[in-house]
Amino acid sequence: MPTRHRRTTRHLIAAGTVVTTVVTATACSGTSGSSKGADGPLVFGISADASQLLPWTATAIQSQQVLGQVYSSLLEQDNHLLPGAGLADMPDVSKDGKTYTFTLRSGLTFTDGSTLDSSDVKYSIDKVLDPATKAVARTSLSAVKSVSAPDAHRIVIKLKKPDASLLAALSSVNTAILPSNKPLASLKKKPLGSGPYAYKSRKPNQSISLVRNPHFYRSRPGLSALEFRVIEDQNSMVSALRSGAVDMAIFDDYVTTKTAKSDNVTIQTVDQLNYHALQMRPDSSTFQNTDVRLAIQCAIDRKQVVKTAALGQGDVVGPITSPGYASDPDARPCPSRDLKAAKKHLAAAGKSDGFTFTAIVPQGLYSSASDEAQNIQSQLASAGITMKIETLDSSAYVDRWLAGKFDAAIALNGAGADPATTYTRYFTSSGNFNKVAGYHSENLDKLFADGIATTDISERREVYQKISRELEDKAAWVWLYSGRQYIATNTRVHGFQPVTDGSLQSLWETTLA
Amino acid sequence: MKSTLIHLGGHPVTRRLGEALLTLLGVSVLTFTLLRVLPGDQITSSYGIDAGDLTKSQLAQLHAYYGLDKPLPEQFLSWLHGVFTGNLGYSSNAGQSVADMTADALPVTLELAVLAIVLALVIGIPGGMIAASRPGALRDGVAQTASLLVLSAPVFLTGTVLASILANSFGWNPNGQTFAPLTEDPLMNIQQMVLPALVLGVSIASPIMQTTRTAILDIRGEDFIRTARAKGVPEHALHVRHVLRNALIPIVTMSGLQFGFLLGGAVVAEQIFSLPGIGRQVLLGMGQKEYSVVQSTVLVIAVLFVLVNLVTDLVYRMVDPRVWSR
Amino acid sequence: MSTLMESVAPAPPARRESLLRALLRNRSGLIGTVLTLLVVIVAVAGILGALPYDPAAQDVEAALQSPSGAHWFGTDQFGRDVLSRVASGLGSSLLVASVSVALSGSLGVVLGILAGYFGGVLDRAIGVLTNVLFAFPSLLLALTLAATLDRSWRTVALAIAVVYLPIFVRVARGPVLTLRSADYVIAATATGQRRLATLFTHILPNIRGIILVQVTLTLSWAVLTEASLSFLGFGTPPPAASLGVMVYDARALSSVAPWLLSGPGIALIVFVIGLNMFGAGLRDVVDPRSGVRR
Repeated sequence: MPTRHRRTTRHLIAAGTVVTTVVTATACSGTSGSSKGADGPLVFGISADASQLLPWTATAIQSQQVLGQVYSSLLEQDNHLLPGAGLADMPDVSKDGKTYTFTLRSGLTFTDGSTLDSSDVKYSIDKVLDPATKAVARTSLSAVKSVSAPDAHRIVIKLKKPDASLLAALSSVNTAILPSNKPLASLKKKPLGSGPYAYKSRKPNQSISLVRNPHFYRSRPGLSALEFRVIEDQNSMVSALRSGAVDMAIFDDYVTTKTAKSDNVTIQTVDQLNYHALQMRPDSSTFQNTDVRLAIQCAIDRKQVVKTAALGQGDVVGPITSPGYASDPDARPCPSRDLKAAKKHLAAAGKSDGFTFTAIVPQGLYSSASDEAQNIQSQLASAGITMKIETLDSSAYVDRWLAGKFDAAIALNGAGADPATTYTRYFTSSGNFNKVAGYHSENLDKLFADGIATTDISERREVYQKISRELEDKAAWVWLYSGRQYIATNTRVHGFQPVTDGSLQSLWETTLA
Repeated sequence: MKSTLIHLGGHPVTRRLGEALLTLLGVSVLTFTLLRVLPGDQITSSYGIDAGDLTKSQLAQLHAYYGLDKPLPEQFLSWLHGVFTGNLGYSSNAGQSVADMTADALPVTLELAVLAIVLALVIGIPGGMIAASRPGALRDGVAQTASLLVLSAPVFLTGTVLASILANSFGWNPNGQTFAPLTEDPLMNIQQMVLPALVLGVSIASPIMQTTRTAILDIRGEDFIRTARAKGVPEHALHVRHVLRNALIPIVTMSGLQFGFLLGGAVVAEQIFSLPGIGRQVLLGMGQKEYSVVQSTVLVIAVLFVLVNLVTDLVYRMVDPRVWSR
Repeated sequence: MSTLMESVAPAPPARRESLLRALLRNRSGLIGTVLTLLVVIVAVAGILGALPYDPAAQDVEAALQSPSGAHWFGTDQFGRDVLSRVASGLGSSLLVASVSVALSGSLGVVLGILAGYFGGVLDRAIGVLTNVLFAFPSLLLALTLAATLDRSWRTVALAIAVVYLPIFVRVARGPVLTLRSADYVIAATATGQRRLATLFTHILPNIRGIILVQVTLTLSWAVLTEASLSFLGFGTPPPAASLGVMVYDARALSSVAPWLLSGPGIALIVFVIGLNMFGAGLRDVVDPRSGVRR
């Protein structure tokens, strides 16, 4: 789903960073007309306001990016998105895999100088688990039975059953540690954490200012100040970058990014795990018949979708994009467009004359949706299938999508490094989004259960290959491609390590020349 | 493009006030109704697909939190009650009261509107005078054609073209910077305002030019001008002292109208040039389904619009008694 | 924009016969007629599909070509012919604008005549309605209306119709007030003709001219409003071509393919200039007083 709601992408546990290209500037105008000092503020451009200031309920990527600088979690993701030491060292795990003991670093404080100890950690995890908090990480911590703080430095987490994704969940900004003595209502307005930067002020829909936290537990952050500036319009963002008003920004549009290149702006390309798909709901009367879905699968040339909607900047993928588990995009019925096969499937479904269906298409969630829809519509037309486009604004789209009130949907869905977190909620009969996916089977339920229970990597891999095969053979959805992201930075910026999917793990070490 | 005066007989002042209140109530009911029909609500808009992970009781709590659990008439009345007690509502996205947001946004739009009107007058009045100086002649044709041209170019097109040319070719993009309020950084503020004000000003210069031209031609035909001319008042002095001064009445009226129009009509320019004005506040509120933001902001715009019209109208009536007879 | 009732008095019936000829004698009337006709021909070709290329047909091999003999306005990133899309976009502009003006014009004129002729409570009720619609910022009103219903050109047309309804109410009501007391209307009433019949046989023909002018002007505003709505993402949905959407989409590609911006931009401006000049010419003809002064 929508990029801005990519919660799942935060739960990454495998090494998945793929920085492919570094394009350096060609000559162009562009003045660095800024009088800013060497150590800040660094201005980071974001395309939408970070309005959710409580990390536990922050779902929008912009809020997560900002709060990731203000808060720390028990563990932190490293630049390869693996969980590593954070406020606590890596835990001791009991033999049965059900008891985790964490030891906090000593001398931890919040940015107001107050002490951070195990009681704050216990408070935070308990609050995340409390349904009343409406924390988004509650489901990923559902294996937790109890949290206790035997002394000021130690936290013991007991599980109902072993859970391999616990550490990833604890390294997310959605499980950040908040001070237990501050009311949540005040933190919603004025965040207070233990991250590299301290919250200073916010102008709604304009900017959020942070200042250096000199007592950051890792070491001294690289900048005296950091400002997130909201610039909704991509073209304005480009000119802001070129004029030096903004030092860094992340784009998902290739052409826009190209225009940002100049003497003083460098572009880095980062692969994404999120995938673009044409979701069909096999539960709906239109798509009940597997042959109908296979006909659509065979009638679409995915490379053409990439070429037109992403101007060639993306890779055709199968269902699973998680590194180490990735599906082979050729292991599917009709790996390349096959109109004859499409006709055969249509005939088998008794619809030789084609048929008509409607796809919901979001507007304002991500830029390529409408282009994908138009290209797919045109491709399906030549197979005799009529796809009607129903454009919906983002909130209306999410409404319909969640309620499963659609036959087909153009979607950009979040994916994590762990295929279990990505797909269990869609394709198991009890998954929260099974109504959205519209497909489940006994076989899949069993495979997903196996996948969580299995710890051996190669065995797990096999399980997920089987899952991938069933999804493709039955054409549950049509998986299209994964796009790329572009990180534009002013050449004054040093030390930033781009990481898949726009996470800003290394921003705290970044400095300005 | 709003109409001119509201023509009604009777006791103008009292009647007009009552009418104004009725109008504002109507605007509020209309806004309220339209918003509730819009698909989606604040919960899906702020939680996105994660709203799917919420349990029934969590959803109920959220409905109560956003005041969506009460019957619609009650929601409306409680909002209305708030308005009368000076409480325009609260935006959870901005973390601010709507009154505070409006206090920040309104000056931006007002400044933009004033600058645009000034630019429009600077272009429109001389243009109209030139056109009127020799009706039907070449200069009249040129002025008329130019005015038609700018009237025909939509703000989103001129704004887009101008902004992208200046940014791409000259690297000049003050609107990429954080917005600088006039009171804090006037120099930067003017830079950020100049393009949108120009685009808007040009777009409303045309009606002002037309009004000027017609008014001048009108007054030149009046008896007292002929008398003055007969008395030997020099043509130049005649023009400035008598003609233009009298023509100012309809010009001021037209400017008032355009000003009212700009309060809500600046939304496109605000959007293109990222100005945190009041039109953008409505647009954002609509996207985030923040009902009270949209309702209260639209009401504020409507109040101003009605006020501007009222004042313009009353001034017009005071200056030109002939209107009373209509 | 000022409504016309201040400057335009009802035209004497005798003037109507030579309307078209008079229009073509008027300079802006002539240019406006020619431009409008030109655009309408292209737009109708767009609606009927009589175009060099299918505006929706994608040819990825021919993507992003600059203007050439084969593609006069170039191609977009799907390899679609921009000229054909502009024509089809003009078609949908014309469709939305005419349907919305037809709606707001007919309903508005009827309401205006009724309000002006009967006065009293009806007049006041209609007055409140028009005041409300006027006080609501027009673009925001259109935008909210368009977002409320299904995404389709019909919704857009309806939204624009509501926005321009009050203008027609006022344009029709003003002259009716004056005409109501005119001798021949009183005479007709006295002969026992039914009141409703009076409205149509005597009043309507008399205000036809100014309504025609208002229709032309409103058409040009409707075209602009439709394009602005599309630009803001509330207009005619894809894959139907819309000039506003084309301009919006072209922004991202403007540095590599400026022709994507110029095609729809120029078409839009020519269309609106045509309508405006046509309207200006019409006003000169219909309102002889202003014609003399000009």
